[in-house]
Amino acid sequence: MNPGVLKPMIAGIPVEYLLILACIVFSIGVAGVLFRRSAVVIFMCIELMLNSVNLVFVVFSKSLQQVQGEVAVFFVMAIAAAEAAIGLALVVAIHRKKKTSFVDEMNLMKW
Amino acid sequence: MVGVFDNPQLLLFFIFGGVLIAGALGVVFHPNPISSAILLVLTFFALAGIYAVIGSIFVATMQVLVYAGAIMVLVVFVLMLLSLHEEGITKLWNHPFKKVLVLVVVVLLGVVLVNAVREGIPNTDLSPKGYSSSGTYEYPLTQAGEEGKKPVFAEGNTAVVGTSMFLDYLLPFEIVSILLLAAVLGAVILGKKNLGKKSGEGDV
Repeated sequence: MNPGVLKPMIAGIPVEYLLILACIVFSIGVAGVLFRRSAVVIFMCIELMLNSVNLVFVVFSKSLQQVQGEVAVFFVMAIAAAEAAIGLALVVAIHRKKKTSFVDEMNLMKW
Repeated sequence: MVGVFDNPQLLLFFIFGGVLIAGALGVVFHPNPISSAILLVLTFFALAGIYAVIGSIFVATMQVLVYAGAIMVLVVFVLMLLSLHEEGITKLWNHPFKKVLVLVVVVLLGVVLVNAVREGIPNTDLSPKGYSSSGTYEYPLTQAGEEGKKPVFAEGNTAVVGTSMFLDYLLPFEIVSILLLAAVLGAVILGKKNLGKKSGEGDV
């Protein structure tokens, strides 16, 4: 790393700790997407992954002294809200038809 | 190794980080979806705490308002609408070979990510933007060096983030508003009872 550009500490916390925390949370989110069956819980795990990426955005924004990273977090949040509305509406619509919200019982697109 | 107890911010980071990881694990492994949702709210609050500790007050506030407030209320509402029964984890879990395979994939992903962090190469020719030379938030609102005028600055986290958003990213901001409008319309259409049927047989 170039120490002149990348500040190694943010408010007394090493940058690496924050990034590794984000990596751990992202991996847990991936595990949730792979393990769970309920569509809504899978959706929550995707939110977890989005949040860990937000943390990386903020950390690099502060570490490289570029304020755009925090603006990007705002956009990620707006798109996550849109995704929540559409995704949950889809889950409700499918549940009305198929009486299930478990992804391994949905085979509408299988042929 | 930095001394934890000399440095209250590092101590807070470890507390919030521990709550974050424990909450995330709870979201994945708790069999009841409602408990998962509540644990996810806890996770969001811990992440907001980390944002606040490293000084991004605006993002911390948005985290609480948008994620813990809006999105999670939506999720809990939908969970109440669905017929709930405890699901346990997937049928994959009963198959020992696949269980090991999935665990290996996840652990490998974590190791790869951590290694990528350790040898990441940041862009080396960046000048600070939105920060003053002393490291505080500062965004120039007028051009420096105009005749007889001092430059005007936006100061503080929220002001600087907002200034950057409305000066540098105005078009994406407006496009996001259109996206949200489209999402609202799509959710209303998808939520209708007789989707795609003129006569209405109650089917999707």
